[in-house]
Amino acid sequence: MNLDHRVLPGSGKRVQLMATCLCDAFYDDVAKATVEVLEYLGCTIEFPEGQTCCGQPAFNGGDWDASRKVVRHTVKTFAGDAPVVVPSGSCAAMMFHGAILEFEKEADLADVKALGHRTWELGDFIVNGLGITNWPGRYDAVVAFHRSCHSRGTKSSEAATALLSSIAGTTIVPFGEAEQCCGFGGTFSVTFPNISGAMGDLKLDHIRKANPSVLVSGDMSCMMHLGGLSEKEGKPIKTQHFVQVLRDALKNGNLL
Amino acid sequence: MSADREAILSRVRGALAPLHQRAALPDWDNELIHMRSLRGDVDAWTLFQNRMKLVNGLSLEGAPALVAWLAENNWTRGYCDPVLWPRLQAAFQSGFTVETTFDRTRIDDYQFGITRAAGAVAETGTLILTDGTTSSRLAALTPWAHIAVLERSDIYLDLQHAVTALANDPNIVFCTGPSKTADVEGILIEGVHGPGQQVALLI
Amino acid sequence: MKFQAIDQFAANLKPSTQAAVYDGSKKGYDARTKTLFDHFEDPNRLRRVAGEIKQHVVENLDTYLPQVEAKLQANGVIVHWAATAEAANQTVLDIMRARNAKKMVKSKTMVSEETELARFLDKNGVECVETDLGEFIIQIDGDHPSHLVKPIIHKNRRDIATSFEKHGLGAYNDDPQTITQRARVHLRKKYLEADVALTGANFISAESGRLVLVTNEGNSRFCLAAAKTHIAMVGIEKILPRDRDLALLLNLLARSGTGQQLTVYTEFITGPKSAAQPDGPEEMHVIFVDNGRTDVLASECRDILRCIRCGACLNVCPVYRQASGHAYRSVYPGPVGAVLTPLLAGKKFPEFADLPKASSLCGACNEVCPVNIPIPDLLLRLRNKGKEEHVPSPGTPPMGPWALLATQPTVWKSALVGGKIINHLPTKLLPIPALRAWENKHSLPEWKGGDFRKWMRNRPSKPTTS
Repeated sequence: MNLDHRVLPGSGKRVQLMATCLCDAFYDDVAKATVEVLEYLGCTIEFPEGQTCCGQPAFNGGDWDASRKVVRHTVKTFAGDAPVVVPSGSCAAMMFHGAILEFEKEADLADVKALGHRTWELGDFIVNGLGITNWPGRYDAVVAFHRSCHSRGTKSSEAATALLSSIAGTTIVPFGEAEQCCGFGGTFSVTFPNISGAMGDLKLDHIRKANPSVLVSGDMSCMMHLGGLSEKEGKPIKTQHFVQVLRDALKNGNLL
Repeated sequence: MSADREAILSRVRGALAPLHQRAALPDWDNELIHMRSLRGDVDAWTLFQNRMKLVNGLSLEGAPALVAWLAENNWTRGYCDPVLWPRLQAAFQSGFTVETTFDRTRIDDYQFGITRAAGAVAETGTLILTDGTTSSRLAALTPWAHIAVLERSDIYLDLQHAVTALANDPNIVFCTGPSKTADVEGILIEGVHGPGQQVALLI
Repeated sequence: MKFQAIDQFAANLKPSTQAAVYDGSKKGYDARTKTLFDHFEDPNRLRRVAGEIKQHVVENLDTYLPQVEAKLQANGVIVHWAATAEAANQTVLDIMRARNAKKMVKSKTMVSEETELARFLDKNGVECVETDLGEFIIQIDGDHPSHLVKPIIHKNRRDIATSFEKHGLGAYNDDPQTITQRARVHLRKKYLEADVALTGANFISAESGRLVLVTNEGNSRFCLAAAKTHIAMVGIEKILPRDRDLALLLNLLARSGTGQQLTVYTEFITGPKSAAQPDGPEEMHVIFVDNGRTDVLASECRDILRCIRCGACLNVCPVYRQASGHAYRSVYPGPVGAVLTPLLAGKKFPEFADLPKASSLCGACNEVCPVNIPIPDLLLRLRNKGKEEHVPSPGTPPMGPWALLATQPTVWKSALVGGKIINHLPTKLLPIPALRAWENKHSLPEWKGGDFRKWMRNRPSKPTTS
């Protein structure tokens, strides 16, 4: 995984927000929390209105032709040199890894790479971009942190857990087979429903044994899967994006 | 099949021709595979003994210890490398039948086999056998107990040193503990085709 | 809605088999992790360097193959080449016939599984006995291995005891010790009767021509102590540049596969036995087998040729753990199989184009691979190949309309807002297969399309505090 986007340009605090299609459609509060948290940290946020999706669904589905069209649109939409911040490890990895793979032989590879190199997953940006490792405020919760798979090989999970564990009132509980995937995998969850469901149930079993008050992750796609499974089974588990926890901690501490 | 040779090599060349650049061979230093346990002062024989224990092997010092162990297990019929036998014979009391030629038509008659080790690897608890030092491959494999006689000076500290010092011998075997399997339900069973007891004897 | 074959296979799998596969692979993964991280400061650096070495070999096979051939010949080994599975099997048979040999003992080799050597020899009147305990059980059952290093991971002791009884290996007894003892007694005769021993090779050093073989049971050692002729079937990608590279790869192989520091029997073979040695082969043959490897080399998935067949990617793979090895319908199951099988299939690619889809792309396989193969990237490349070759893929939603939507922001935004209607519809009745598949197992969160954008537009701009 290419992580050579570690140096912030001079305009470090002027950022472009890639809200993700999932937040656009379902998880508006995660996108709102992202804005509030970044602004709390002194960032000026630009939200390019033309944004749609990172292109990952088609990329994973093998339809690279369709995916490249969407990536080209994304490149055009996120013009400039400001860091692009995404509240999703999966969409971030699409930009700095997946897109580059499918553009290998394309004439505009350099443009795609340029965008990839300034794309940051939110937790990685806060901790390694802005240098914040201590989070103020208060949040009383026992958190099970699900390390989403697209953060493998990146500093994202480490960053999110560092922030969460620094919050007054928050403890992180370990659970079994934490390295295993939740079973979402995009269209995998609908084309392999049996395996995907079994993977999710296994993950939920491990999480329930740890008895957390909330399940937290850096990817709402995993949360949509695990939350949806648990709700359908009649044993719902509360899920949150870590940025919602950060925002709520600020609110509880009257910092927002 | 020389036609196949040409076909394969030409397909290989064809497959690689479009590559603008070939991956370079990386250099790496021994530090890369230096195990944590080998940091600091380590006595090779002590480490070897400890490591051998971890792989369910046994190490003994001196011929009398070997004979006592064999007697304890009631293993009285065996084979010994003819070169070694004069050095060990005195320790074997009556009641033992030790042959110095191995008869492959009666392999199940031998409860133990004593041959020479060419060396050992301390970090892995490994005995090194070679054609040059092993009087019979079958005698070192088919009896339930295999005893390899080892000189203290022949112990390498780690795999790296042992592999780069491999003898000029057509058949070198690193034996790390007894023959084993976990094929049935992952349960460890020793003595599958080869010895159920692997012994290093220091003399 | 039609589901993928591997998913169907998993759904129909006997719960006891699924449990056996899950437990066996989890045990392997746990042992691997513990050993590697206990033993080394930075095991990931080992994996990266090993990967670079193997990639170098793969990309320089045109130099290494003639070099290793010359070394082997100088060591007294007879070298053969086989472009196809048929040619490889025929070469083995020809060597046997020329020596009037009728019986073979065989150590586990994946390449001979590819060529189905045992079946071929059987048809041609040669007795070929598998000596690895797991493979022996597979052979008497007429079954197929379901794991690279634990071929009978899908069987339990009762299955094995029943099969031993059926094949005259003693009255029913499901004690693993007894099963093993019976195999020991039975196979000893086979070794001593055999004319030819067949093995594979884990590595061959181009520097010395040393062929390296590893087994825990000692079966290959027994093969090479008893038979007079040794034939090694070797995939053309098995080369390592230098002897010292063997130390690095051996440090990784057993740890990655079973969590052992070193496999029990690690053999370094350069040729026929020495003159003074009473036991062992007087003649040694190496058959370099292509069987589709040069096609893989020509593809953009050539990195898969680094594979050292340790099985770590199977052990960690959540899909393998649920579906078992037989779901992959080939010699190579799991993540490595999902890449290798469709590639080795050549013209039959469409038959196996579903394998690369059987992955959530979680990347755990890459994380444990001792030669750092970017397996998820290769799975993606093969998915793209399937799409470009118009191979149908059950259940995969079409992406063209979605791309159209996602490149027109105005339409996208109206769709987001318009989508809210879904909150008020009986979604079960909607003719959207993916949605129905989702709702079968999950609840759907409330559609809040466009809400964030509205909030973003309408909020007063905040002054920055920096």
